[in-house]
Amino acid sequence: MRILDITLKDLSQIVRDWKISLFLVVMPFMFTLFFSATSAPAEADARLPVGVVNHDPDGVLSARLIETFEGSQAIRIVSLKEAEESQVDSLIEKETYAAIVIIPEGYSRQLLAGEDIRPEVIAISDRPAGHSAVTAIRGDIKRVLSAAKGAQLSAEVADSRQPFAGDAARQAYLEEGITLANAAWDNPPISTEMKAATRIDTERSQSTNPAAQSSPGMIVMFAVFGLITSATVLVAERKSQALQRMLTTPVHRWEIIAGHLLAMALVTFLQQAVLVGLGQFLLGVDYLSAPVGILLVMAALALWTASLGLLISALVKGEEQVIIWAMIAMFLFSALGGAWFPLEFAGKAFSTIGHLTPTAWAMDGFQNIVLRGGGNGSVLMPVGILMAYAAAFFGLAVWRFRFE
Amino acid sequence: MNNGKAIEVQDLHRHFGDIKAVQGVSFDVRQGEIFSLLGPNGAGKSTTISMLSCLLQPNAGDALVMGHSITRRPMEVKKAIGVVPQEIALYPDLTARENLAFWGKMYGLRGKTLGRRIDQVLEIIGLVEQQKRPAGKFSGGMKRRLNIGIALLHKPQVIIMDEPTVGIDPQSRRHILDNVKELNRQGMTVLYTTHYMEEAAELSDHIAIMDQGQIVASGTHDELVKIVGKQDRVELTINTESERVLPAWQAIDGVHKATATDSIITLLVDESDRVLPRLFEAAIEAKVHITSVTIQEPNLEAVFLHLTGRALRDG
Repeated sequence: MRILDITLKDLSQIVRDWKISLFLVVMPFMFTLFFSATSAPAEADARLPVGVVNHDPDGVLSARLIETFEGSQAIRIVSLKEAEESQVDSLIEKETYAAIVIIPEGYSRQLLAGEDIRPEVIAISDRPAGHSAVTAIRGDIKRVLSAAKGAQLSAEVADSRQPFAGDAARQAYLEEGITLANAAWDNPPISTEMKAATRIDTERSQSTNPAAQSSPGMIVMFAVFGLITSATVLVAERKSQALQRMLTTPVHRWEIIAGHLLAMALVTFLQQAVLVGLGQFLLGVDYLSAPVGILLVMAALALWTASLGLLISALVKGEEQVIIWAMIAMFLFSALGGAWFPLEFAGKAFSTIGHLTPTAWAMDGFQNIVLRGGGNGSVLMPVGILMAYAAAFFGLAVWRFRFE
Repeated sequence: MNNGKAIEVQDLHRHFGDIKAVQGVSFDVRQGEIFSLLGPNGAGKSTTISMLSCLLQPNAGDALVMGHSITRRPMEVKKAIGVVPQEIALYPDLTARENLAFWGKMYGLRGKTLGRRIDQVLEIIGLVEQQKRPAGKFSGGMKRRLNIGIALLHKPQVIIMDEPTVGIDPQSRRHILDNVKELNRQGMTVLYTTHYMEEAAELSDHIAIMDQGQIVASGTHDELVKIVGKQDRVELTINTESERVLPAWQAIDGVHKATATDSIITLLVDESDRVLPRLFEAAIEAKVHITSVTIQEPNLEAVFLHLTGRALRDG
C-alpha cells in the first residue's frame, strides 16, 4: 500500500506542472508530424526479403510453393541465380536476405511418391527478421504439404474404387487435387497456425505510411526523454532529505524504490498510450492490429525507461544533471536504436551495433506489428530482450541507489 | 520492560573512514522527560540521533528505544519514534495538508483517522489557516513547524528533534520551544539536540554535553553548572588580534580557561570583580584597547569551556 502512496505522490507532483504535458505528449506528437512530413513515402516493399533457389523448376509442388510464397504478406521472394547459391551463408550473414529457401531437385516427384523430402531453409533465427521469415516460410511449406497430402489420399481412395487408366490419368488427378486443396486454403474455415508476420493491410498499407516509422520512433525517443520528469522528482526528494526521512518511518527501502520505479513506469506507459492513440486515430498507424503485442511492448519499454530513470537518479547529484543525462541517453539510444530511421537502411554493422541498445528492440517490437504486419507473437523476442535490459538497469540502479 | 527508560544508549560507536564521529556514547532518557544533547557543530549529536532513528547502523554498541533494539528491531523503533530532521524535509510543491497526508500514510495512518490527526497537528503547529498553501511558499519558521508536525502525526512515544530551530526568526523559535514543552507536558519523551545553550537550559530535564564524539558531562542543568563552581564567564572584545594580550591574561591569578575567536576572548575567572581590573591593566600595557566586556554567571557555556577549553560557538 505504501508503494502506491509513494507512486501517487510522485504522479501528483509530476502532473502539478502543466508544462510537463509539453514534454510528454505535445513535443513527441509534433516531432512525429515533422518526421512524417519530411520522410518520403516509403515505396519499398516492407516485406522481408527471402531468396529462393529452385532445383525443381518443373515440379507441380515447387510451383505451388513458390506461388504461395508470392502471395505471402510477410515475405517477398527473390529468385537467386545459381552463382549466388554458393554464397548463401554470406548473404544471410550480411542480412541481404532474411532467409533463403532451397527447393531440392525432384522435390515434387519424391513428395508425391510419399518420400520424406523437404526444402532447406537457411536463416539466423535469433535475429528478428530471420525469426519472422522462418515462421512465415514454415507456414507456407505446411500449407503446400497439406495440399499434397490431401491430394494423395484422395487419389488413393479414387484408385481403390476405380483404378486409374494409367500414370497420366493419376498425375492429372493429383494435380487437380493439389490445385483444389491449395485453393481451399485461401478461405480456411478455421486457422490454428500462429504466424509471426502474415498480413499487410493492402487497403492502407503501412509500408507507404511514413508515420509507421516516425510514430513508434518518437514514442521510443520521448519515452527516454520523458523520464526527466519523474527522475527529477526523485532527485529533488533526495536533495531535500525527504528521501532519507522516509527511512525514519516504518517503510522498507525496497518499498521506497519500488514506489518510485512504479511512478516512472506509469508516466512512460501513459505517455505511450496517448501517443499510440494519436498515432492510431490521427496518423493511421495500425497499432491496434495486435493490441496485446503493442501493450506488451509498451509495458516492457516503460519498465526499461523507468529502470534507466532510477539509474540516472541514483548517479546524479542535481536536477540539472538529470536533464543532461536524460538528453544524452535520448540521443544515443534514439540514434542507435533506429528511432530516427530504420536500422535496415543503415547497413549491417550499424544494425548490429544498434541492436545492442534496448531501444532497437523496442522499435522492433512496434515495427513488427505496425510495419511488418506481425501478430502478437512477433513481439515476444523484442519484449523478452527489453525486459532483460530492464532487469539489468534496475539491478545497477538498486546497487548505486543513494538515500542521502 | 525498560524500567521507565524511553531510550537506553549503550556504548555507541560510529566512524566514517578514519573519522570517529561517535566514540562510546552512553546515556539514558527517562520516559516523559526532555533530554538535550548539547554541543558544537561536529560534536557527534546528529550522528548519534541518526543511529537512534535507524538511519545509520552503529559500528559498535546498541541502543534500546522503548525497549526495542535499533540494530535488531529497527521497524519497531521507527513505529515508536517521530523524527524531526535538521533539514526541512518536505515537498515544496505539495500543500501543508498534502505533505501531512503523505507522511501520515508513511506512518500507516489511513482514512478518517488520518484526516482527524492532520487537523489536530495543524492546530498544534499553528498552520490551520495556511494548510492549503504549498509548503514551498512558507516562511522559514512555518516550514520548520510543518517539519515538526510531520513527526507528530502518528502520536509517537518518543520524538527526536535535531536542531529544530536552526536558521529561524525569534518568534518562530519561541513557537517551536513552546510546542516542545507542550508535547512534553502531554507525556511525550523528547530527545533534543542543539548547540544553543539557552534552549538546552530552558527545555531540558537532563542535558548531555557532547564534544568530539563523546559525552563529556551529563546531568541536570544545576548539576552541570556546579562543575564550574563559582567561576564567571568573561567575554572581552578587543580592537586587535587576541595573541597580543592573551598570554598576559592567561598568566593572571584567577584566570582558569581562555579561548579566543578573532578579536573575542572568553575567560573563566574566579571573582570577576577582582580579576577584571588586572585584565584592563594588562591590556593597557600591551597597548590593546578593550571595546566591550560581558560578564556572565556560571552557565552551560562556561561548563563547556571548562570541560573542553573551547567555546560552544567555536564548533
